[in-house]
Amino acid sequence: MRDRTLKYLLVLPSIAVVLATAIWPLVQSFVLSLYQGLLTRPKFPQKFIGGENYAWAILEEPAFWNAVAVTGFYTLATVVLTVAAALGLALLLVPGGRLRASVQTLLILPFAMSPALVGVSFRFMFNPEFGLFDAFFGLVFPPLAHISWLADPFLAFWVCVMADVWGWIPFLTLVLIGGLAAVPRDTIEAAQVDGASGWRVLKDVTLPQLAPVLAVVIILKSIFSLKTFDQVYMLTNGGPGTATQTLSHYIYFNGLKYGQIGYSASVAWLMVIPMIVLTYAYAKLVFRKA
Amino acid sequence: MAVRTSRKFWSAVQTLAVLAAAAVMLVPIAWIFLAAFKTHVDVYQLKVFFVPTLENFATVFSDPYRLGDKLLNSTIVAAATVALAIPAATCSAYSFSRFRLTGETAMLVMILATQFVPAVVIVLPFFVMFRDIGLLDTRIGLILVNLAVVMPFAVWMIKGFIDGIPLDTEEAAMVDGSSRLQVIRNIVLPMAAPGLITSGIFCFIIAWNEFLFALILTNKDAVTLPVGLALFKAEEGDLWNLLSAAGIIIMVPMFILALIIRKHFVQGMTMGAVR
Repeated sequence: MRDRTLKYLLVLPSIAVVLATAIWPLVQSFVLSLYQGLLTRPKFPQKFIGGENYAWAILEEPAFWNAVAVTGFYTLATVVLTVAAALGLALLLVPGGRLRASVQTLLILPFAMSPALVGVSFRFMFNPEFGLFDAFFGLVFPPLAHISWLADPFLAFWVCVMADVWGWIPFLTLVLIGGLAAVPRDTIEAAQVDGASGWRVLKDVTLPQLAPVLAVVIILKSIFSLKTFDQVYMLTNGGPGTATQTLSHYIYFNGLKYGQIGYSASVAWLMVIPMIVLTYAYAKLVFRKA
Repeated sequence: MAVRTSRKFWSAVQTLAVLAAAAVMLVPIAWIFLAAFKTHVDVYQLKVFFVPTLENFATVFSDPYRLGDKLLNSTIVAAATVALAIPAATCSAYSFSRFRLTGETAMLVMILATQFVPAVVIVLPFFVMFRDIGLLDTRIGLILVNLAVVMPFAVWMIKGFIDGIPLDTEEAAMVDGSSRLQVIRNIVLPMAAPGLITSGIFCFIIAWNEFLFALILTNKDAVTLPVGLALFKAEEGDLWNLLSAAGIIIMVPMFILALIIRKHFVQGMTMGAVR
C-alpha cells in the first residue's frame, strides 16, 4: 500500500474514537441543551425550546450563579495554593541527594491515588471525633478542636480546597522539578558570583526561565480545577447546602438526580466556554515547543 | 565562621522542610493503611499502636459488599480500555510522527482538546443513549466512554516515544525492500515497546481511577472500585475501617504501577508540553 493512503488509514481508528467519544457527545450535549429534555419521559427528542434553558440558568437560577462562584473561588484558591506550594517544594527538592530523591519518588503516590479516594481520606482526616488532621489543628489552635468541619460552609469549602491541593501538589512539583532542571546552571552560578542573593537569583534568573513551564502548569491546573467533581462528591457532596457545589456537581445533580437533562446540558455548555479559551492557550504552548 | 554557621543552619532548616513536606504527603496515606488493619473500635480512638487484624479485608470481600465483583469490573474495564486504546493510538502516533498529513495540526489539537472536555459534558448524552439501547450498567458501555479519557493521553504519549526513535534503521529497511507495514511491525514496534508498555500502564491508572462515568453509568452490575467506596457509607455513619481496606485495594496496585513508570508520568500528563 502506498504511504499516501496508509498514513490516513493509520490515524483513522483514533480519530474515529475521539469523534465518537468526545466530539459527538459535545455536539449532542448542545442539541440536548436546546430541548426540554426531562429524564422522566421515555425518549428523545422532546419539546424544542431553543435558548430557554440558557436563559433560565443565567437569569432565573441563583443556584447556577452559586455554582459559578464556588467553582471560580475554588479554581482560584486551588491554582494559587497548589502552584505556590509546588514551586516551593520543587525548589527544596532540586538540589538532589538521597533524602530528596526518595521524597521525590514518594511524590508519585498521592498522584496515583483515585481522586474519589482522596476525598474519602480527607473526610476521614477531618472527622471531628477521631480525624488526624482535626486532632492536629486542635493541638495547634485549640478553638479548632473537634469542630464539625464539613458541616460549616466556610470550613467545608477550605477542606475541599485542601484535599485538592494535597492531591495535585505532587504532580505539579514533579513538572516544576523538570522545568528547574532545564534552567542553565551557569546562568545561576554567574549571578551568584556577581554577588546576587539567593532571593535575587530566584526572582531575576530562575523564575523568568521557568515562566513557560509555569504557564503550562497554571493552565493545566486551572482546567482540572474547573472540572472538579470526584473529591467534592466524596467529601461534601456539594454541601452543606450548596456551599461546595461546583459546576460539575451542579450539572450532575440537575441532570441525573432531578432528571433535567436538557437544562443541565445547557449549563455544561456554559462550562465548556472557559475550557475552550484555556485549551486554546494550552495548545499554543504545546505547539510552540514542537 | 558566621557565614558557615548560617549556611549549616539553613541546610538544616531545608532538610526539616523536606521532611515536613514528605510527612504531609504521606500521613493521610499511612493513616488509611493503619485504619485498614484496625478493628472498628480502634478506629474511633487515635491509636497508632494496636493489634492488627485482617478481618476488614475479609468483610469487604463478603456479602453484602462483595468488593471482589467491583475489583473484577475495574480490572476488566481498565484492561479492555487499554487494549483498545493502545493499538489505535500507536497507529496514529506513528503516522503523526513520520508523515505530514493534511490537517495534521487540527487533528492533534482536537485529540489534545478531548482531554479538557469536562467528563460531565460527555456523560449526559451517553447516559441518554445507553438508557435507550440498554448499555447502562454494563462494562461495555463503561469501556466505550473511558476511551474518551484515555485516547488523548495515549496518542500524545506514544507520539513522544516514536518521535524519539531514529529514522535511519527504518529507512535502511525500506531501501532493502521492506514494506511500510513490515517496517512498523519488525522495527518500530520492538523499539517502541517500552514506550507502549509505559503508555499502557499510564492509561490503565487513569481508567482505574475514573469515577464520574462509573458513578453515573453504573448502579449495580458494572460498578467499579472507586464508586464501590460509597457502599461503606452506612446509616450509622461511614465505616472507616472497611473504607480503608477498600482504599488499600484501590490504591496499592496503582502505586506499584506508578512507581514502575514514574519517569514518564510527567511527560504523559502534560502531553509533551513539558519534557
